[in-house]
Amino acid sequence: MAQEQLIISIGREFGSGGHLIAEMVAEHFHLPLYDYNLLQEIAAGKNIDVSNLKKYDELPRRRFFHRTVKGHHSSPEVNIAQMQFDFIRQKASEGESFVIVGRCAEEVLKGHDALVALFINGDHDKKLERIKKLYNLNHEDAEALMQTTNRKRKNYHNHFCTTKWGDSRNYELCINASRIGYEETAEIIESYICHRFPDLDLV
Amino acid sequence: MEHGLNITYLLRRCDAFLIYTVTKEVCEMPVEQIVAIVIFVIMFALVITEKIEKHITTLICGAAMMLFVFGFCMGWNFEMMWSVLSLESVTHLGFWYGHADHGAGIDWATIIFLAGMMVMVEGMAKAGFFRWLCMTLAKLVKYKVLPIFLVFMVMSACLAMFIDSITVILFLAAVTIELAHLLKFNPVPMILAEIFCANLGGSATMCGDPPNIIIGSALNLSFFDFLSNTGLIAAVSLVFIVLYFYLCFRKQYAQAGKDVDVSSMPDPASVITDKRGFFISIGIFLVVVVLLITHSSTQLSVATIGVVSAVLTLVGSPKSAGHILKLVDYKTLLFFIGLFIVVGGLQNTGVLDIIAAWISSICGDNLMLMIAIIIWISGIASAFIDNIPFATIMVPIIETLSGGNVPMLHTLAYSLAMGTDIGGSATPIGASANVVGVSVASKAGYPIGWGQYCRYMAPATLIVMTISTVAIWLMAGLLTF
Repeated sequence: MAQEQLIISIGREFGSGGHLIAEMVAEHFHLPLYDYNLLQEIAAGKNIDVSNLKKYDELPRRRFFHRTVKGHHSSPEVNIAQMQFDFIRQKASEGESFVIVGRCAEEVLKGHDALVALFINGDHDKKLERIKKLYNLNHEDAEALMQTTNRKRKNYHNHFCTTKWGDSRNYELCINASRIGYEETAEIIESYICHRFPDLDLV
Repeated sequence: MEHGLNITYLLRRCDAFLIYTVTKEVCEMPVEQIVAIVIFVIMFALVITEKIEKHITTLICGAAMMLFVFGFCMGWNFEMMWSVLSLESVTHLGFWYGHADHGAGIDWATIIFLAGMMVMVEGMAKAGFFRWLCMTLAKLVKYKVLPIFLVFMVMSACLAMFIDSITVILFLAAVTIELAHLLKFNPVPMILAEIFCANLGGSATMCGDPPNIIIGSALNLSFFDFLSNTGLIAAVSLVFIVLYFYLCFRKQYAQAGKDVDVSSMPDPASVITDKRGFFISIGIFLVVVVLLITHSSTQLSVATIGVVSAVLTLVGSPKSAGHILKLVDYKTLLFFIGLFIVVGGLQNTGVLDIIAAWISSICGDNLMLMIAIIIWISGIASAFIDNIPFATIMVPIIETLSGGNVPMLHTLAYSLAMGTDIGGSATPIGASANVVGVSVASKAGYPIGWGQYCRYMAPATLIVMTISTVAIWLMAGLLTF
């Protein structure tokens, strides 16, 4: 029986080009890409303003000043994250194929037959150069932004998951995109997926 | 510079003196007191950080209190262990009918009452009572947003007088969001107002908020005692609070929902899932309310009322009995059991007497100052930490402070009740209803951060705390003169 569903989860370091690679892979397989727009989809479904949700996207809960009562959390960060996890699970259970960037997808969908979990990292200098160029920042500001964003992603991931962010044991492939380039990395991923699912026949 | 003029040097001297005094006090403490304090501090830290489930934390700390304090430190004092477990109290007639003496340890009356109310509330929720009530009131005010806002505030306060505020907010917030989608308004201000009013309503009666049950049960206060004291304060406060929230949000809600066709709104009767169960649950609720109001005359204890409400609910819905029992929050009941043991340890080792003596040394004979300290310290503490452990600790302290003067003890009890019940409204983590309301709103796509929450709720809390302080001062003044 042909493999009709494909879910590609891509974790990434800030500045590694993971998002760009996710776009290329999604385009190659003609799949929808979920990233920041995930909240847009959720907001549209609930008929609410997405700007209310965006400020809590991919953030860990505060270490103190939160409380849990009968499974209810006071932290908006936790609630928004759970909302996204539920959305991802629902899409996966409905048989939809998609590429998802971040949002702990490799843990949320762990064990799903159609899941391919990847992590993209990069060399420090290359990541810094990319951030400087993309955000038009000087060296110090780019360095600070990279460190802050990576720390937030790590804290977010490690708070909601039992596994550690970037730990190779959680992913099928971990690739340093700085070494071979973004397009080449995307090609390797595409090739890997074709080998992983030789009978891939997306509906 | 001369040492006498050097402020840094003076502060260091003060710090050193404080450290010396505290160290000296601790060194002079019996070992069982030190161990009891350490266990309590560990328990509190674990409860706040939520690293381990709360009920597991309190049960382990309770067991540690038994083992290390009553066992190793106090030479295996089995008599004290038995008295803290309080199992014998259940066999006394006074536990079920009349008055029972409450010692240090597990307050089984509170546990049984809470369990009974949980069963009753689950039965009511299952039949669709809460959704029906919300929808009926919304229909009565013709689905106009501003009147819904005002009516829901009052309903939240009234329901929370008899039903735990978590359940009230769970249903009220969900219906508010549903109406917000249909009538196209922002539900956040309404949910905030409902949360505040639920906490305020809870302060009005003995069964409204867990600290009140603990205080009332421990000090043999009746439902009517609370209603005629904290109830009166809550009623006056409710008028001010409804006015406060009205002034805050009237512009936002005045024009909301005007262009919506209300003919398509859901019929309240359609939300009733089980008609027979619905009428039975209303009947049981009314019986329990009557039993609570009259329990000082009938001499039925809160434990008996808890058992009656549970039995009536289970007998009234025999098919759903198993399901209802499964929904009871056993973790909260276990949390209470562990907590009572830990506080019993603090009480039996005399730690709470030390705290009472310290408060007494600050206040002297000044009852007004004592009232203010109890209300505001309880209020500030409850804004950041769980008010249940706080109230449990404070009950023996106010007993010591009163020195056997019953009117004074009751005045301090109401001060403690108002402080712990109302202070919790100030922050999103202060009370269980706040957490549930904020969570329900966030899950529906209306996240409420600390800033937005405190901006409206902290001033409201200050208003009610001030009203409570003045009211209890007046009551104490009437007692004195």
